[in-house]
Amino acid sequence: MHQKIRDAIKRSRADYTEIRVEDREATSIRYRGRDLEEAGAVVDAGGIVRCLVRNGGWGVVTFNDRDDLGAKVQQAYECARLAQTEEPIELAAIPIVEDRINVSLERDFRGVSLAEKKALVEGYNDLLLGHDERIVDTATAYQDEFRHLVFASSEGTFVEEELPYVGVRLVARAREGDNVQTAMEGRAGQKGLGFVQGLDDLARATAQRAVDLLAAETVIGGRYPVVLNQRLAGVFAHEAFGHLSESDFVYENPQAQEMMVLGRRFGRDHLTIFDDGSTPGLLGTHRYDDEGTPTGRSDLIQDGILVGRLHSRETAAKMGEKPTGNARATGYRYPPIVRMTNTAIEAGKTPFEELIRDIKLGIYACDAFGGQTMLENFSFSSAYAYMIRDGQIAEMVKDVILAGNLFTTLMNIDAVGDDFFWIESGGRCGKGQGGLPVTFGAPSIRIQDVVIGGR
Amino acid sequence: MDLLDRLTSQAEQAEVLEIESEVTTVGYEANRLKSSRVDETRGLAVRVVKEGRLGFSASSDLSAVDKLVTNALESAAYGDPVDLRFPGPHPAPRVETFDETISRLPVSRLVEMGQAMLDIILESEPEAQVNVEVQRGVQRVSLRNSAGTHIGFDRSPLTIQFEVSRVRGDDVLVIFDMMGVTLWSDEYLTQVRDLAGRLRQAKTAATIRSGRMPVLFSPRGALALGLPLMVGLNGKNVYTRNSPMAGKIGQKLFDEKITLVDDATLHGRYSSAPYDDEGMAHRPVTLVQEGVLRSFFWDLKTAAQAGVDSTGNGVRGLFNPPSPSATTLLFEPGDMSLAEMLAGVKEGLLADIPLGLGQGNIISGAFSNTLGLAFKIENGEIVGRVKDVSIAGNIYELLQDVAAVSQETEWIYRDLRLPYMLLPDMNVVAKE
Repeated sequence: MHQKIRDAIKRSRADYTEIRVEDREATSIRYRGRDLEEAGAVVDAGGIVRCLVRNGGWGVVTFNDRDDLGAKVQQAYECARLAQTEEPIELAAIPIVEDRINVSLERDFRGVSLAEKKALVEGYNDLLLGHDERIVDTATAYQDEFRHLVFASSEGTFVEEELPYVGVRLVARAREGDNVQTAMEGRAGQKGLGFVQGLDDLARATAQRAVDLLAAETVIGGRYPVVLNQRLAGVFAHEAFGHLSESDFVYENPQAQEMMVLGRRFGRDHLTIFDDGSTPGLLGTHRYDDEGTPTGRSDLIQDGILVGRLHSRETAAKMGEKPTGNARATGYRYPPIVRMTNTAIEAGKTPFEELIRDIKLGIYACDAFGGQTMLENFSFSSAYAYMIRDGQIAEMVKDVILAGNLFTTLMNIDAVGDDFFWIESGGRCGKGQGGLPVTFGAPSIRIQDVVIGGR
Repeated sequence: MDLLDRLTSQAEQAEVLEIESEVTTVGYEANRLKSSRVDETRGLAVRVVKEGRLGFSASSDLSAVDKLVTNALESAAYGDPVDLRFPGPHPAPRVETFDETISRLPVSRLVEMGQAMLDIILESEPEAQVNVEVQRGVQRVSLRNSAGTHIGFDRSPLTIQFEVSRVRGDDVLVIFDMMGVTLWSDEYLTQVRDLAGRLRQAKTAATIRSGRMPVLFSPRGALALGLPLMVGLNGKNVYTRNSPMAGKIGQKLFDEKITLVDDATLHGRYSSAPYDDEGMAHRPVTLVQEGVLRSFFWDLKTAAQAGVDSTGNGVRGLFNPPSPSATTLLFEPGDMSLAEMLAGVKEGLLADIPLGLGQGNIISGAFSNTLGLAFKIENGEIVGRVKDVSIAGNIYELLQDVAAVSQETEWIYRDLRLPYMLLPDMNVVAKE
């Protein structure tokens, strides 16, 4: 295959050509309540050719049949000639590398039988279901995936990389009459099977939370000081701010560039946000991105000031900045686009007790059920929450949805906790191409004056 | 040896799905033609029932058929027992889903279509950044099973998606839309013109108070209400008793202005087909009739578990086993015109683009959405765009009293046809 790839690239008539070939084997086991929905493995093999013709555009061909790579390159070249850009597309320079990254996993899931994996999931599922008679439904899932990627470009880069993934997801639903409440937990990483074993306590806690939510009152809508726990703060950093720092949003948009001008103040002095695709074991980690650019740490907001953004080679060239290794693709069906990897708010200095101490009436919002942004506007639902009364965590409340304007909200972050961690509960980002693994990291943060939807 | 024969010789029941497609896409990015691509897909998905247990596997590597068979049988060895019968041959309605015109659309024509849409938007909003994707494909699906079913049909999906963003200072507006058909239609032009109209309307700013008021949902906005409903009507949520509608067939749950039909038999719609992905003939399924719950939607396995019949709503991708899903969902129109509905609102909100769809506890019927695009209605007129507004409620309460449903309907996100809906009194939270 290696020689076939090199030969096909050599014959290309495009200004730039790259081939990415992927082999993926994945196992999936899913329970829904007492029923096993799926237990099995799939085999996926495919590839993508991307050609650039400077005065044309990009041409892309994706395929499962890899017999004739030369024909795919030719087809991609013809596609590239079709487009007509006014200015030639340039790619920022990157180091040319030949590299091979093999992983060795501590309990490689590829050597473990389907029976054992099924028993693991079944065990968690039984714990969820057996925890309380009000738990009426569960969704318990296990997934592992081993991807083998070969990337080669006409500039001479040739990278072979193995990317493992293992994850477990636990969902418990409790019901009392018409009141149905859900709690969700998970764990995922580029690790071996051991990483998702021994999660019995997590399963019990998940079920208990679903039961607790049955008794929680719906929050009364309004504006509150809100403390976000690490997981919700992490999702917030990714969704509300991170997407704006992806340069494909700004690089051809003068108004957006003005809004995202480097040096602009986005937050107070204690706010630092960064993206780092090189932290070992996290979901967004890989040594090279899908254009062959080495990954690393990129500071986005430093001490409250916008200092950087995330790039592909094309956006970097266009903006005269350096590629950051953030051109990522969700598998061989997609050309790379600018994506986050592992995005985090850096730890501050305030202990958690101090974050809540001066709040007379506020909300402690935990974890995220989901989030959406329309650039400056965002909306997040927290999975569970508590009222803060007179500086103390008080009763649990539900249906807490935070909404607001990004710029105001970032400025309203008036305290950053000292309790940072990388959240290894599993995360996927849906931008453009569907679920790409990413990790969030954050300490607890306090935000003044947040709009909470509710009754 | 043929794959189906091979599986049948080792299991009581077997099914082989073969998918082959070629899709061509042209993409405009930031107002200019930036890329074009071809996606060729082929793959096999199989299911077997062995010793009463169901197994599944799939592969896009056609040289790895042995592995596919091994994986499927291993999957069945650990599968749960299920009393499922793959359907034998039976007739289906004639549903047209292949259009020679679409399958042969030259790339230059796709380019023209994209440009025409771009021109319409830029004429009304020269500062807009527009991304457009025009995509045509040819898809061949073949399904065979051990009960003797052997169906195959061709489809010619045409999909158009676009995203328009407008940035002015710190004010950002992003509108995403998507349409799709399998028989040629130029309805995309109407939709783009409509979008251009909304962009114009959104230039005027207005403010709104928090509190209870009538809310008019546009077809896009009504999705905030439709989504919890779809989740509740899904057979899987009914069988697992998560749906608040479980066990309530025949009961009047909603206002009589609400009628909801799932219909994959319309010619030329994006999700139309004579059979579903498990070989069951499609037919229109009335889910809610004048407020009365009539049916849920089911696939084979979930129906077998619940002891009912599949409604022909088994939907799958290559790498996933089927699950129940709506196909083409039609909210039936009402008897009032949009103009009349608007005229009756003294002070209210027009909810056009909800954000955060599907967030929160939607299975319970609860929804809570910030509105990416919303307008203030004053004395029957749309007076301007309001920002930082959110709505919340529960459909099982709110949809018991619907003030009006419009005669006009629109296709949104390819598979949904919705009218405007007016809810007389609901809570609106605004940033004042």
